[in-house]
Amino acid sequence: MTLAFAAAAVAMLVAMIPAGIALCRGDLAVAVVAYEFISAVVVIVLALLAQAFQRSSLFELPVLLAVLMFGSGLVFVRAMERWL
Amino acid sequence: MTAVIVKEVISDVLLGLAVVIVAGASLGVLLMRDACQKLHFVTPAALVAPVLVALAVLVQMGWYENTGETCLALFFMVIAGPYLSHATMRAIRVREKGDWRA
Repeated sequence: MTLAFAAAAVAMLVAMIPAGIALCRGDLAVAVVAYEFISAVVVIVLALLAQAFQRSSLFELPVLLAVLMFGSGLVFVRAMERWL
Repeated sequence: MTAVIVKEVISDVLLGLAVVIVAGASLGVLLMRDACQKLHFVTPAALVAPVLVALAVLVQMGWYENTGETCLALFFMVIAGPYLSHATMRAIRVREKGDWRA
């Protein structure tokens, strides 16, 4: 295991706490922005963990989440614009 | 031996920078006044930090399968980020003003 990558992943998870607070306490628009922030950071965290554990198969998760982040973000944004 | 140490130091510095950027951006998301201002702090976490992490993986592993997949994730984030930010800003404006051109 590459310790620096695991430590960076944990540090990024901790660093997401302020954004999580904004997500929980803000209005709908703020929550969507915080959601986009958190999903972007989770992509990085998954890549860091895959590198930390030296598993090539785990690298598919950040790639998949990066693609899904775009689609899900647009769905949330469109719903916020039209219906919420 | 020295080359390995240099690689590790460069990789650690890149990872540290990525963590600092994400932490600062996260504080920005919490502390800014409204959603439009908060949205500006998504970009450093969605574009700059992934570039630094991909560089750290590249320095650590060289051109390898893991590096390729990290770059692929980075590619999707770089493509998606600006579209998503634009769509979000537009939706916020529609909610506030009724029309994004107003």
